[in-house]
Amino acid sequence: MQQSSNRRKPISGIVFLLSLLLLAACITSARSHQNISEIRLNNDFIIVTATVKDTFSSLAAEYLNDPSKGWLIAEFNHIKSLTAGQELIIPLFSFNKGGLKSEGYQTVPVLSYYRLSKNKPSKIAITQDDFKAQMKYLKDNGYHVITLDQLLGFLDYQEQIPEKSVAITFDDGWISVYDIAFPILKKYGFPATIFIYTDFVGGGKAMSWKHIKELSEAGFDIQCQTKTHRNLTVLKNKESFKQYFNSLEMEISYPKKLIEKKLNKECNCLAYPYGETNNLVIAMLKKHGYRAAFTIDNQSNPFFIDKYKISRSAIYGKYDIEKFKNKLSVFQHMELK
Amino acid sequence: MKRLFTIYFVLIVLFFFTGCAGVREFFGDIVNKFLEKNSEKTPGVTKVLPACDYLKKASEYEKNDELQTALFYLQIAGTLDPDSTKIHEKIASLKSAIDHKAGQHFTTGVTFYKTRRFEDARKQFLTTLRYSPGHKEALDYLKNRLHPKEYRTYKVKDKDTLKDISDKFYKDPSKDVLIAYFNNIKTGSEPVSGTILELPTLGSEFNRPPIHIPTELTKAENLLKEKRYPEVLRVSEKILEYDRLNQKASDLKNAAYYQIGLELSSQENYPEAIKSFKKVTPEYQGVEEAIQQAINKELLKAERLLKQKQYEQALAVAGKILDYDKSNTAAQNLINTAFCQQAKNLIIRKNYTEALHFLSKADPECDCVKKNISDVYTSKKKQAEVHYLNGVKHFLNEELQSAITEWEKALALNPEHKKAEKNINNARSLLEKLKKVK
Repeated sequence: MQQSSNRRKPISGIVFLLSLLLLAACITSARSHQNISEIRLNNDFIIVTATVKDTFSSLAAEYLNDPSKGWLIAEFNHIKSLTAGQELIIPLFSFNKGGLKSEGYQTVPVLSYYRLSKNKPSKIAITQDDFKAQMKYLKDNGYHVITLDQLLGFLDYQEQIPEKSVAITFDDGWISVYDIAFPILKKYGFPATIFIYTDFVGGGKAMSWKHIKELSEAGFDIQCQTKTHRNLTVLKNKESFKQYFNSLEMEISYPKKLIEKKLNKECNCLAYPYGETNNLVIAMLKKHGYRAAFTIDNQSNPFFIDKYKISRSAIYGKYDIEKFKNKLSVFQHMELK
Repeated sequence: MKRLFTIYFVLIVLFFFTGCAGVREFFGDIVNKFLEKNSEKTPGVTKVLPACDYLKKASEYEKNDELQTALFYLQIAGTLDPDSTKIHEKIASLKSAIDHKAGQHFTTGVTFYKTRRFEDARKQFLTTLRYSPGHKEALDYLKNRLHPKEYRTYKVKDKDTLKDISDKFYKDPSKDVLIAYFNNIKTGSEPVSGTILELPTLGSEFNRPPIHIPTELTKAENLLKEKRYPEVLRVSEKILEYDRLNQKASDLKNAAYYQIGLELSSQENYPEAIKSFKKVTPEYQGVEEAIQQAINKELLKAERLLKQKQYEQALAVAGKILDYDKSNTAAQNLINTAFCQQAKNLIIRKNYTEALHFLSKADPECDCVKKNISDVYTSKKKQAEVHYLNGVKHFLNEELQSAITEWEKALALNPEHKKAEKNINNARSLLEKLKKVK
């Protein structure tokens, strides 16, 4: 009897220790609200005191239900990093939708790439290394690459976006976007939009619908750049106005339907071939339900820009990093007092 | 020992079935109490900043003109200290200051917009929105009104066909397909009268004009140099008909109207000069001054006519000045003076009805008008009294019919003359009795 109780002692000791460990692990595994002081004021903001474990992302996940919105907390509190014990205000609304400040307003650069090449640059083809360097520059310098939806939310004065926001787009639908750009963007977690002209799909150096579908499923936004990539503003030689008009109708309506059918996703934006447009094209885009369209004007976009003339900055093959930096203007100075 | 083992067993089973969440739930109260107790030991870590700290922040933002952020911090302070009337008063006062500033910038923006100073207007609307992020009208200007429209609207008239409208709007009947397409009109159908159509505006490249615009521009420039202004107008207007945004043609048109105005001014034909100046855009250098000079000349003319008691002519000249410049107080005063002087003459001639008719055309707030109206009524009363006394004299002389006529005149001038009214009734009943006696 004595022997058995002696034998039971080490077993119960082990069980006791295991239980304690379990309890401790359970208590500390979850971020307990009680470690911080949390005051919810109206439905507008919460005041919290940060703990050692907190990051902007974890706070955004907890209070804004979106870990990607950590920047909103950082920007509101005018801080770049967190320290334990620091009191923070978490805004529960977009506090500056247009990015307006007394000294000016926010602008968003939209970068426009075409082709990529392994080694040799050309006018429209950027090398793999240059593209990598540009993406690294964006990451290292605190730029937020936003989606097309976020950009449109900003332009609709509906959604606030990070102060240093930039959007990435590719034109035409070259296979090098899939082969070279896709893995690099994936590595950095950057979203991008690809404007395809549907007659090009499946051609020699173009992506196939299979590639496009894969990119779409990976979170890339696939939008349209007409059917044949004709200049929408210029009448061809001996083309009558009626022929031109019918051609416009085809260039605008056909690819939208095709992309939506192939990808089962809405196509509501268009990039003008050669970046050129006119009133008739815009009127037709509106009639067909397009939400926005993109030119090439080498300007950044404030929220009040005409959504059918969103400007993009073309990034050509022989751009060094300095030239690239010049395309990243995120603020326009103007005294707003 | 057995009891302890049972607890361990329960714990393991609980973890097995519910995981950490279950364990936390089970020990929730114990853990909470432990943490609360623990937090009390480390004051400062979990306490929120006091309201006064947020007030201080608000004050700093307010100084830097970041009023929305200041308001945000004030609202936090107000929530932390709900009993403070001072904070709530400050919130109300800041809200009012924000509304005032936003309102001021918006009004200035609208003024700029109306005078086509679009960049200045945009800046004002942006400032409005910075102060008041929910200002819908400022947002509407920024997002819609400040962007050029792709459409123009057209109200269909009786018997209008698509080809008529296309010819009128695009100078090309074959663009009727465009109108049908954008207004969902089926092929072969015609638009219903009164319908508002949206017509996309086309660039000049799609409105091929039957003229060569650069040649026509050179022609107009040469005509301007030769001072053949009416011809400059004809050519520039023709260019604008096909290319309404052609800046050079607009400049030439403005220059021609301005020069015609100057020529007419030198011939002292100021009304026609003003008409010509008014066709020039207000931004054109010197045109506002030229209009003002011509108006001043016309005012002098009106004053001269007034001195010469040529009231009708003076009124006509001053009236035309008001057509050009509605707020011209000198012309308005001159018109009032002309009416008053005419009324005064009529009062002297005892023509009160006509005098009142003239005075009714003048500004009732004008002092001379008020005085003249008062004079009319005083004179009418005096005159009524004269007729009344004449009536009495006739009555005493037993001239009853003449007495009634005089009292009726007195009553017409002063309807409140009770004695005249009473005497008329008495005289009439006496006349009746006399008739019966006879």
